[in-house]
Amino acid sequence: MRTGLKETGAIIFAAAILYAMQRTTPLYSNITSPVSIAGEQGKRTDARAFALAVGDVHLARTVRIERFGQTRTYTTSGVWVLVEAAAEAKRESLTLTSAEWLGPSGLRYSLSQRISTMPAMLPAERLEPGLPKPVLMAFEVPENELAGGTVLVAPSAFTPLGEEVRVAITELAVGDIPGAVTIRRSDGPMPWTLETE
Amino acid sequence: MAEAISRAERRRYWLSLAGLGFALPVAVLVHSWESLEAWRSGSDRDPIAVDRGESQRYAGAEWRLTTLSRLPGGSADEAVVLAEFEARIEDPGLLAESPCAVVLTDAEGRRWLPAFLTRPVVRKMQPEAADKPRCGGLAFQGAGTHGTARMAETFVIPATASGLALSVTLANARPRHLLFR
Repeated sequence: MRTGLKETGAIIFAAAILYAMQRTTPLYSNITSPVSIAGEQGKRTDARAFALAVGDVHLARTVRIERFGQTRTYTTSGVWVLVEAAAEAKRESLTLTSAEWLGPSGLRYSLSQRISTMPAMLPAERLEPGLPKPVLMAFEVPENELAGGTVLVAPSAFTPLGEEVRVAITELAVGDIPGAVTIRRSDGPMPWTLETE
Repeated sequence: MAEAISRAERRRYWLSLAGLGFALPVAVLVHSWESLEAWRSGSDRDPIAVDRGESQRYAGAEWRLTTLSRLPGGSADEAVVLAEFEARIEDPGLLAESPCAVVLTDAEGRRWLPAFLTRPVVRKMQPEAADKPRCGGLAFQGAGTHGTARMAETFVIPATASGLALSVTLANARPRHLLFR
């Protein structure tokens, strides 16, 4: 009788363990997801292959781009998020092709491709070791995904176990979104100027 | 009730267990052998050091670094490095099939890849070099059989970088690569 009880207990115990293991098994995408390095807005964050410092983040309902004397206007059904940053390669020349805005609900927004012809846009800039470069990122994000957002930057979106810098955006005036921001080319130390209207 | 376990059975049990300790690592090694081989041959870990101005046979040609000069960059922190090198072709077939990778390294082990576009400063100060092709099939074809391919690459580096060396790798000849000091 006693042995039977023991055996039943052992079977239930084993089943419970198997069930727990089955429920907690990570997906392949979790196992190979990027290794994240947390950073703060306004401070340099060092990964092994690159370093990133996120500066000001500007919001706007529309973006105007002045090029060759012409102004093009880009509207959006969400809000434009323009992130000013500086990036540097550390060991070997590289390009940071992946950047995402991670909203508070967990949704991710990739870089907007619409103004990718502007100079100094992050995925178009080749970064060299020892030469920090100013870079610009542009996202189109719904208004309710702005506050508490995080910027994720990685050399590539597809490299298993690659590095990803995560910078929580703490300084963001979500309550007061300007109507338009004008981006102009500049020959100064920064390759662009931003003007809020 | 308890059955006597024979000595022979006990011995078999322990031998099997010990055998597993040997078989498992071997299985892992056999499985990953191809990947290990690919990784070994893909890495540039066998440099052939060449002094500046000297020639070295490598991957079907005789290679020589003719100039490695620093030009002013876009800002005070930045310098443009112009590397000019040539290959006297001995085996055109071998060269044509092999992609060429050129990297500039410094004393700290940092690696710069060539710039996509020739910098304006190169065109201004070394116009002849600006028209030279980059390392690759096009340069080798242009030189013809047993001709000399003259190539140039530009790099953008920090002005403070020192101990520069130019590494030239042809995929066929990996892991051996040329390192011009």
